[in-house]
Amino acid sequence: MPTLEAPRDVLDDADIRLRNTTYALFVSLGRAPRAEEVADVERSTPAVVETGWRRLHEARALVLYAGGDIRMANPFSAAPTAHRVRAGGRWWFANCAWDAFGICAALGVDGDIESSCPDCGEAIHVEVRDQEPSDPSLLFHCLVPAAAWWDDIGFT
Amino acid sequence: MNLFRSEEHVDRWLGGRPPGATISVTELNELARAWWDDRLSPTWRPHSLEQNQAILERLGLTGEFWRLG
Repeated sequence: MPTLEAPRDVLDDADIRLRNTTYALFVSLGRAPRAEEVADVERSTPAVVETGWRRLHEARALVLYAGGDIRMANPFSAAPTAHRVRAGGRWWFANCAWDAFGICAALGVDGDIESSCPDCGEAIHVEVRDQEPSDPSLLFHCLVPAAAWWDDIGFT
Repeated sequence: MNLFRSEEHVDRWLGGRPPGATISVTELNELARAWWDDRLSPTWRPHSLEQNQAILERLGLTGEFWRLG
């Protein structure tokens, strides 16, 4: 799902560096990194990383589970979802159909998107080639108005 | 935020609920590229609300439904 970040002055340079390290590790590992893994790269401690992640969560630059682990590094999902993307030599989970295309965009590569129609359950496969979707007849429906996307980000 | 085979599938899935907004997958792809393509850039900075609203407007996604806040 789309992010709607807080104003940029909420995050300082250290927050941005932590965020970028976290994202880079997510991509290199193919999964959400643990605080210990990020701390190793940052030459920091897991506690400092977790505190920083909470600031990023408040600024909507990451989404954490209640326990503090990463749930979403939008457009990537740490948890399995109904929207899978094959891109850059890996399979990824996206938070929604928008994010599925977002993973290709973020990685700067073409990809294959696997989803399903929520109405009939039929599998939907879309290829992204030369940055264009292979089946232009498909539709995308967004149920929640933009102003309410963050009211329940999991539902959105 | 899902993909559908057709408007008929969207309507049946809604089952009488008020509809949101439906766009083509081509428009969705353009939106995703504009929204997400900087996410792994080492120079990434948070988008402001105004920046994100401008992305929506540039793609013709205007009106109350697409107003971010």
